[in-house]
Amino acid sequence: MLKVTNLHASVDGKEILKGITLEVKPGEVHAIMGPNGSGKSTLSNVIAGRDGYEVTAGSVEYLGKDLLELEAEERACEGIFLAFQYPVEIPGVSNMAMLKAAMNSIRKYHGQDEIKAGDFLKLIRQKADLVEMKHEFLKRAVNEGFSGGEKKRNEILQMAMLEPKLALLDETDSGLDIDALKIVSHGVNALRSPERSMVLVTHYQRLLDYIVPDYVHVLANGQIVKSGDKSLALELEAKGYSWIEGIDDNQTTAAQAS
Amino acid sequence: MITANENQSWVNAHAGVALPGADVAWLNEQRAAALAQFEKVGLPGVRDEDWRYTNLRALKSNDYALNSASVLNVELAETTNPRLVFVDGHLDVAASTGLSDSVTSLKDSLAIVEGAFGSTLPIEPHGFTALNTAYAHDGYVVNLTPNQVLDGVLEVVFVSQSANAVSHTRNIIIAQANTQCTIIERHIGAQGSVYLNNIITEIVAGDNAHIDHYKIQQESDDAFHMGGVFINQASNSQVKNHNIALSGLVTRNDIYCNLLGPGAHMEMNGLVVGKGRQHIDNHTEVNHAVPNCTSDEYYKTVLDDHSRSVFRGRIIVAQDAQLTNADQQNNNLLLSKNAEADCKPQLEIYADDVKCSHGATVGQLDPTSLFYLKSRGINAESANALLTFAFANEVIERIKVDRVREELTQILAGELLSGLEELI
Ligand SMILES: Nc1ncnc2c1ncn2[C@@H]1O[C@H](COP(=O)(O)OP(=O)(O)O)[C@@H](O)[C@H]1O
Ligand SMILES: [Mg+2]
Repeated sequence: MLKVTNLHASVDGKEILKGITLEVKPGEVHAIMGPNGSGKSTLSNVIAGRDGYEVTAGSVEYLGKDLLELEAEERACEGIFLAFQYPVEIPGVSNMAMLKAAMNSIRKYHGQDEIKAGDFLKLIRQKADLVEMKHEFLKRAVNEGFSGGEKKRNEILQMAMLEPKLALLDETDSGLDIDALKIVSHGVNALRSPERSMVLVTHYQRLLDYIVPDYVHVLANGQIVKSGDKSLALELEAKGYSWIEGIDDNQTTAAQAS
Repeated sequence: MITANENQSWVNAHAGVALPGADVAWLNEQRAAALAQFEKVGLPGVRDEDWRYTNLRALKSNDYALNSASVLNVELAETTNPRLVFVDGHLDVAASTGLSDSVTSLKDSLAIVEGAFGSTLPIEPHGFTALNTAYAHDGYVVNLTPNQVLDGVLEVVFVSQSANAVSHTRNIIIAQANTQCTIIERHIGAQGSVYLNNIITEIVAGDNAHIDHYKIQQESDDAFHMGGVFINQASNSQVKNHNIALSGLVTRNDIYCNLLGPGAHMEMNGLVVGKGRQHIDNHTEVNHAVPNCTSDEYYKTVLDDHSRSVFRGRIIVAQDAQLTNADQQNNNLLLSKNAEADCKPQLEIYADDVKCSHGATVGQLDPTSLFYLKSRGINAESANALLTFAFANEVIERIKVDRVREELTQILAGELLSGLEELI
């Protein structure tokens, strides 16, 4: 599904990703862990097509296409979804309006008719229930005045509505209390399927108790320094990051401080 | 440069037109003084500081005629509101509903407006204001006696249907103590038609009067709109002026408010949506003359293509006007690199115990918000439209009257959300 090969990317001339290679097959769940500042969000953003990153080497192939050739909105229409580490507040645009525009835009891209108003309403209510979001939130402006946890649940609601093929979840667990974490995990697990792949970016292994990954990778200083199965996450939890080669003490301190 | 000849030709153009109140002494005095003022100042030009950015060459290069009464020849949308219809500045009685003891035409109400007429105007009016006083031929008059509430919403539609028409309409709202009214002025014109709508509304708000005044400007794309709203407010009165400019080639609005009694509150909401080569000026002035008044000004501008706007917001707080609370916000969104917004907040504060705040921004759409929408599959054009609409609609959301707000939201969606209207 997704094949990242020797990806190098920089921001303002500063290299942040220094040769990432990663393959995600349909239905797989990969966790990417690593200290703060190691490049996890950068990787997610580059895959989702955010402006401001320069890919200096390597390739990203998605469903057989050169992903880097596509605009962000085309990538979304092709089934890529990014749950933001910091969801954006959009005053004046309601959750419903945004999701309806998104769904119809994606349908149009695939040559399908717009969704019927009644069907849309039924669907969005059902998905709101999945993430235990009160229906009145649907009419509110996107993320405006939402608590941290509500924003993260809103990301999962959007994902549930848009039914992506590849979901990138950037620290969806951070800032959640245990109840919210359970709700979010339940929402994510409900979307797991043999066709849908997920990349979970997380700082903590806690999330992986609820969403059990097939693979775990450790990203440090712009490179994947170790890969394994879910037991790697437990090892990280017990020992911290410092025992892994390629992570210097500086980064470890940064990770613990955050 | 404006020559004496040019000014004289404007005066000549109006000669021989029968104006109402030819035998009314106080009115004749005002007309004569206004004419003298016009002869002194002439039409404004770029040498005038307040008109520096406003190119009136196209306006001046055209000849205009003041028509006598015209009859409506366009179809207006149905409404359930009482509605006055002015055609080229003259009340079309047959097309109007809602005339009453309290709602009349200027021509028929000279006795009522004596004292109010001209009472709110600046001391040194510019040429267009002077011309308006000199040649005022009609307008609506709302006269509310103490404790009277004008039910529902009064609509007044100003239709400019004749090419090269000029109108000098003067509207007057006299709201005595404890009165209440909601009035919407709409300005429309035949698309592609060139005309000059020189219109002034005076609002005299008595003690504890509550007035909601809307001005929705959707003139022809080739038209000139010179507008003034001049307001005097007594104690505890509340006046809200909503100034929505969506069209016209050159638009100028002077919105001046004198807070003359303690406890008075003024709210000015403004929205400009410019495109093509439109030019839109809004000059506002809130004069806090006495203590304990509040003013809240919120102007937003969206400019595309080569459009230009000027916002000049003056707040004056007199030495005695302690405990004034004044806020002014002006946010400008530029959708094109050829668009230009000039904003000039001017605060003149002579009292020491006051709260005055102001903020002005000029910028583009937020790239992070755009990426967020695009990452959900929304194409760039729709993402731009949604965010632009959201920016502009914040002005509309300040409108408290549900049906007015809903209607304006629809109008704005038509302007900015084409193809996505069903989203809101
Ligand atoms: N827009 C940017 N401009 C400059 N530096 C950036 C930008 N985005 C990220 N960085 C830098 O890139 C590095 C990786 O950041 P990020 O991908 O956010 O890490 P993580 O998500 O793993 O915490 C950090 O050193 C960060 O400061
Ligand atoms: Mg991050």
